[in-house]
Formats: sequence, C-alpha cells, structure tokens
Amino acid sequence: MLALAAFGCAGVLGPGAGVGDTFRLSDHVSEGDPAFRASMRIVLDGLDADLAGDPDLALVRYERSLQVDPTNPYAYLALARHRVEGEDPESALPFLDKSKALLRAQGALSPGVEAHLDGLRGAALLASRRRTEALPLLERARSLAPEAWSDGQLDADELR
Amino acid sequence: MRGAVGVLRVAALALLAVGFVCGFFVARMVVRLDRIVVARFEGQLFRVPSRVLSAPTILYPGLDWKRVDLRGGLVRLGYRESTGEDRLEPGRYRVDGLEVRVFLRAFDHPSRPEPARDIRIHLEGSRIERIDDARSGRELGAVLLEPELVGSYYGPDREQRELVRTDDVPAHLVDAVLAVEDQRFRAHVGLDPLRILGALWANVRAGSIRQGGSTLTQQLVKNFFLTPERSVKRKAQEAVMALLVEARYDKDRILEAYLNEIYLGQRGSTEVHGVGEAARFYFGRPVTDLGVAESALLAAIIQSPNGISPHRAPEAARKRRDLVLALMHQQGRLDDAGLTAAEAEPLGLAAITPEPREARYFLDALRRQLPDFYDADLLTSEGLRIYSTLDLRLQKLAAAALHEGLADLEKRHPKLKRPGDQALQGCLVALRPQTGEVLALVGGRSYGESQFDRCTQARRQAGSVFKPMVYASALEPRESGAAITLADRLEDVPLRVPTPAGPWEPANFDHEFHGSVSVREALERSLNVATARLGQRVGIERVVDVARRLGITSPLPEVPSVAIGSGDVAPMEIARAYATFANGGIRPEIRTFEDVVDREAHTLERQAVRFERVLDPGTAFLVTSLLEGVVERGTGQGVRAAGIVGPVAAKTGTSNDERDAWFAGFTPELVVVVWIGFDDSRSTGLAASHLALPVWTRFVREATGGQVRGAFLPPPEVVSVEVDPLTGARALAGCPAHQPEWFLQGTEPTRVCPSGAFFDGDGREAPRRLLEKLFDAWFGDDGDEL
Repeated sequence: MLALAAFGCAGVLGPGAGVGDTFRLSDHVSEGDPAFRASMRIVLDGLDADLAGDPDLALVRYERSLQVDPTNPYAYLALARHRVEGEDPESALPFLDKSKALLRAQGALSPGVEAHLDGLRGAALLASRRRTEALPLLERARSLAPEAWSDGQLDADELR
Repeated sequence: MRGAVGVLRVAALALLAVGFVCGFFVARMVVRLDRIVVARFEGQLFRVPSRVLSAPTILYPGLDWKRVDLRGGLVRLGYRESTGEDRLEPGRYRVDGLEVRVFLRAFDHPSRPEPARDIRIHLEGSRIERIDDARSGRELGAVLLEPELVGSYYGPDREQRELVRTDDVPAHLVDAVLAVEDQRFRAHVGLDPLRILGALWANVRAGSIRQGGSTLTQQLVKNFFLTPERSVKRKAQEAVMALLVEARYDKDRILEAYLNEIYLGQRGSTEVHGVGEAARFYFGRPVTDLGVAESALLAAIIQSPNGISPHRAPEAARKRRDLVLALMHQQGRLDDAGLTAAEAEPLGLAAITPEPREARYFLDALRRQLPDFYDADLLTSEGLRIYSTLDLRLQKLAAAALHEGLADLEKRHPKLKRPGDQALQGCLVALRPQTGEVLALVGGRSYGESQFDRCTQARRQAGSVFKPMVYASALEPRESGAAITLADRLEDVPLRVPTPAGPWEPANFDHEFHGSVSVREALERSLNVATARLGQRVGIERVVDVARRLGITSPLPEVPSVAIGSGDVAPMEIARAYATFANGGIRPEIRTFEDVVDREAHTLERQAVRFERVLDPGTAFLVTSLLEGVVERGTGQGVRAAGIVGPVAAKTGTSNDERDAWFAGFTPELVVVVWIGFDDSRSTGLAASHLALPVWTRFVREATGGQVRGAFLPPPEVVSVEVDPLTGARALAGCPAHQPEWFLQGTEPTRVCPSGAFFDGDGREAPRRLLEKLFDAWFGDDGDEL
C-alpha cells in the first residue's frame, strides 16, 4: 500500500505505452523439462494460495518449487513478489537479482518479465523509502506492462 | 476387678496411642504420596522427545521413480501394499503393472496441510509418465509424500510417544484395552477386589503367579511413580496411590494417561510408549484410523510387548489378539459380525522402520542452528516437530559413500589403517546451492564412537580448495580493472616473500617450477607458486575479503601463504563458498530446517530461504569455468573416470604433509564437499585425488545416476572469444592455435594473433583484414604470396 500511495503521489499514474500482453506465469507452465514444468505447477499453486489469502502456504509452495527445480527463474520471481508484499520488502532484491540472472542466462528475459522485475524492484525500493531509485523503475514497469503496473503493484493474479 | 479394668484401660490407651502413631505415619505417607501424584498430574505428565522430519519427496511426471526409491519410500512411511481388489484407504498402495495407486495420507501442518488423496502414478520405464487424481481423473503436476522421520532428540530414557487425547482414540481400542486389562475400570475406585480375588484364586490353582490383579490405575501408578520391585511396601504404596489418583481425577483423565504411558514395544534402542506411537510403529497409521482387529492386537500385547511381539512372534500375537476379540465379544463390546470379521483379518503389520542412524550428525548440526531457547531439556520433552531440509535418500547415499569409501581406502592403502579412535576419518556435506539447504551431512565415520562433526566443528587446513577464492579476487572487476583475465599467463618461478617470521618460499606439490603457465593451467594443475604470486599481485587483504564475502567465517591469517590455503576452515564453510560460485555469486544462508511446530500445532520458528549477492555473476561464472577445467584436464579428472557426465566444477585440496585431503565440487544443483584425514593431523601420505575424490564421485554418481542435469550458463556479462592459448592474444585467421575463452565484457584481449593482423577493437575484424580473408578464400594459399 505504501508503494501504491507513493507511486500515486509521484504523479506517474496514467495510461502508458505497453509493449504487448502482460507476462503471466501460466503461459510458461508447459515449457522446459519435466522438473521445470513440475516446479512451475507448484509456483502456480503458491500463487493460488496467495490469492486465497494464505501467504504462509504460498511461501512454502514457492520454496518447494525450488526443491524440484532450483534453476526456475519464475520461482524466484514469485518469491520476490511475496516478499515485496511482506514485512521486509527489501529482502526481495536478491530474489529479483537471482531471477534476472537466470532469465538472462537462459535467454528468457523478455520485456514482459522485465516489467515485473523492474516493477517489483521499484516497489521494494519504494517500500524501503528509496524513492529516487524506485520511481524510474516503477515508471518503466508501467510503460512496459500498463495493465499490471498501472497501480504500482503486482497482484498474485496478475502474475499468475 | 478394679485391677482388670485398669489393665484394660491401659491396654486401650496403648492401643489408641499405637493407633494414633500408626495413623499419623499412614496419614503422613498418604499426604506425601498425594503430593507426588498431584505434582505429576498437574505438571508435565509426559516428556516427549522432539522429532526431526526430512524434506518431503516430491513426485512429478518425468521423475526417475527408481532413483527416488518410490516403493521404498512408501514402505518407510508405513504405507501397506494392498494386493486384492479391495477399496484402498489412506496409507495403502497397490502396484498393478505400470500403475501404482497410492492413497496418500493427509499431512497435518499448521501452514501447509495436505489433504488425503487417492492418486494413480503411471510409469513408463524408470520414469513417472503421469499422475492423476484417482477420483476425479484430473492430471496432477506434482504430489508430495509426507516427510520421513530423520530422528528424535531423546532424553536418557529413550522413550518415544505420540500423545493422543481420549477423543482421538477409537472406541473399539478403548473397549479392547478394557476388555483384557480392566473390565470393571469404569466401576471401581482404583482397586478391584473382585479382580484381586479372581487372580488370587487362579494363581492358587495354578500353583504359581499367572495372573495379576492390577487395575489400569494401578498399572499407571506403577509405571509413573514406582519401581518394578515386588514387595509388600511397594504394593501398598501402589494401592494407596491408585486410590488417590481415582479420588482426584476422573476416569477419562486416568484412561488418557494410561493410553499414553503404556509400554508397547521396542524400535531398536527406542521404547515405544502409548497407543499413538504404537499405532504408527505397528501399522504405520494414526491411532484414529485403527480398526477393531488392529486395536485388539495392541491391547493384546500390553501384557508382554516383547514376548508376544507381532513382528517376532506373529502366531502368539494373533492368538492373543483373538483372545482379546473373544473377551470383547463376551463382554458385549463387539457383536457377532464384528468378531467374525476381525478374526478373519491378518495382522496387517507395517514394515519395521528403525530410526535412521545415518543422520545423527545432522541432528546435532540442526540443534546448533536452532536459537538457544531450544535447549536439550526442551527438545527432549516438548514433542516438537522440526521439519528439516534433509534429503533422506541423499543422506543414506552420503553415509554409504563415506563409510564404504574409507573402508576401501584402507584396503587399498593399508598404511592408512589405524586402530580405534585413531582411525582414518572423513566427512561429507551436500548443499543445494541456490537455497543453502543442507541435503546430506555425515560428520564422521561413526557417531557412536565420536560425535565430533568434522564438517561443521572441525577447522582444518584448506589447502588448494581455497585457491578459487584467490582467482575470484583476481578476476573480479574493480575500479582499476580486474587483475587478470583467463587468457593471461602467470609465472610459476621461484618466489621469496619476506615475512616477520622469515622469508616464505612456496613450492609446488611436485617440487618443480613450471615457468610461464596460463591461468587455467595454474588452477587445473593446482600450482602453488603461480597462485601464491597471484595472491601477492592481488593483495592478501583483498583475497581475505573475497573469502569472507563468499562465506568463510573462520579466522584467516593475513599472510602470503593464505593464498594457497594455509588457513584453517570448516568443510561447511568451503561448501558455502562453492555454493556461492555455483549460484552465480549469490551467497545462500545455510539452512537445516524449514520450521518448528509445537504440539498444539503452532509454528514456533521458520527458517526462510535467504541469500545475498556477494560476487558479480561474471566472476562467479569465470571461476566456475576454471573449476570445470580442473575436472576436464586437471587434478579432478577422476570425476570423469568415475563415469559422471554433465556439468561438474571441482577442486582438489591437499594440505601440508598430506594431513588433509579435500574434494569440493558442484553441479548446477548440488554442492558436495568431502574431507578426509586423521583427527590427530598425522600425514596420510596421499594426495586428495586418491583420498577425497573417490568418496566424492561415489556419492555424486549415486545421487545423480551419473548423469548430471542442467548446465552452467554464462551470464550476459561474459563473452566468449577465440584466443591463442600460448600468448592469450585474440586469435584471428592465420593464428596457429585457437581456443575459446571466457572474458568479462570489456576485458577481451586487445593483442591479436598473428601479431601483424589488424583488429579494430570492437569485436570486428577491420576491413583490410576482411579483404585479406576474402582474398584467401578466393585464391587459397596463392593469395598469401601476393
């Protein structure tokens, strides 16, 4: 909510110039090898748990997905989103870093997922009162994925 | 007459006095015993050892079910095979050709409960092809098997119990117990005169003690408060205390205490107490799920759990079970149909699942990672459930690899064989690099002989396993640029460094100097002098700083020799540092447990995945690439010789005088460190590639099936460039030798080979050179002559 308020106050809300459909994890569930696919199904279960208002179960699911495939970049992305929503948003930063590193190494870094990486980083920084660093990132996320980032936050169903 | 009255009066007074004195002592004894009863019942009635559970096994399509030992896992979890066409119930499975149908039990956990689920696992060869929900037919992406028991934190008595409430106990179990042990329990006041007389009569007729007259309350009192001694005094105390317990507490409370206290068998050296624990032990299921026949069997063995153990004496157990069923029937607790059905049932025992002995070092390591609040007293009494990160399959493989590996080494090198506590030792730790989870930990050869964990408590000289940290500090970009690139050459020539303790002159393992060597060669051949020179070039302070960032916490002396591993470190620290390389420069926090849950299902602790970037991804990748070279061409070639294929990066380490042998390495998903040596630091006389490497490969081959999954993917910060391996110059057409090499962007070589060629520095060959190449292509060798 802090992220939302500060984002709104910054006056960057409004229509953006999106670059395509919003990136969603469910679109990638049938990619990769069996371990990746199973890991993705568990990540989606986690997002379902988040949507159902059970963040503890969601966290366990995300961590469990890493047990199946520790190189699944989307599991780190979901964990980062979970942490941004939690008590220590800044702790999301290394998860975003890890997710991005894996996506780049796997050649899977698309503008859509980059919007979420930037947006979540921005939200984490904003919640940690690092506005100067946060606002450009949130603005970039909004311009890349306006449907998801127009409100300055990424809900579980928007990532799902 | 008067005299007689006087005598009587005196006698009466004397009797009164004696009675008063006796009464006083009896009253004092009753008060004392009452205090004991109240103290126990109002305080903590039972000390329940905390249990540690493994990480759950996750089943998913594509998984190699043979490698994860699906069937063995089900058996260890107490699942029973069902062979007929009967309906499956939770805790049962059936194998039908290429289909395994399992009715998974519900998993009770405050934050991540799992419902009971009837599933079908379709197999294809050694792989799981598909998993369906048997009821709905819906395809499932992944399912979890419940965690397995890793071990418990026992007090001196080694009693294990799973506490149950009377409400959770099926009525037929209570009926069975009462039918055979105390049929008038609900009516008596702690003592049952009828039962005592009946037992007396039976014993007189038999001419020996055949039957006891104790009520449940007396049995409980005896177990709680008294010794097994047979004396009038003890029997009197038992009777008084039974009356006191009955006077103070209601029947349900007494029955609940009895059902939780009663001794029901032996799992190895651990005593099984209470019906909750016994239900798990004998039938692999919660007490709530027990049927009539199973309940009768538990009641049957109360009399002599070891004498009529269903595992050791199934016929005797069955006979007595049927006796209990008959008693239930006689007493109106079981109808005709129930009796017939129960008598027809087999004993239906789950396989004996002794607590794994391999994980004792892990249990200690976990205990040390818990906050101080969780002291020994709390862990041995509060019945906590600690969900650990341990992968029991890997743990078993790790224990076998170390034990068999050490025995094998002693066989091949008899000089390594030493008696008793001087025996060759070793340790093995395996981590998941991305999350820091400890998957396996074996801290020594025998926990029974030495509880000292050589993976987490020992500090041993690191030797060459430390060297990658020197190379990381040299490759890491800084304001003035990285000290080296992988194409640079290092001088392996005599070095003399003045120190306060006198000049330091490092030597190589082979006591030779190798002149100009490539960076790769220096690490692949583990050259001390070239690495020591590099350490000097980078600065020891910087090397130590990088080691600290990577996770080395032991004190490191800031002396020149630290570059070649003179510092003492714990194998776990090395594992963490290598995990950081494997994880692209992100250092994970070591994690031995996920959460701690109390008896009331409250989560007390949670250890989340945490990590921190401490090294740039490019440098981490370059070091990984160097370590891959160690496996392909260097001192770690034994990995390939052992038949392990796929991405592996590793380093050997042999300390001064061959006192310590290390092999530290990783795949994209597993970091494994092995240390071998003697506790008293005597020399082994052998290099690490002969000592630690075979144990490492034995474990990793079994753990991965010899085929390592994944790849070490280069981050965008690095680029591959063809270089001349002799000079490190960029190799263009016409250069006699080419070799691809990784560089951090912006650090690619500016010199070219052949030296006359022209290169524009932007990664493109200049137009003149391109024209020359075209000319070559068109006119072949003749073109050179033009």
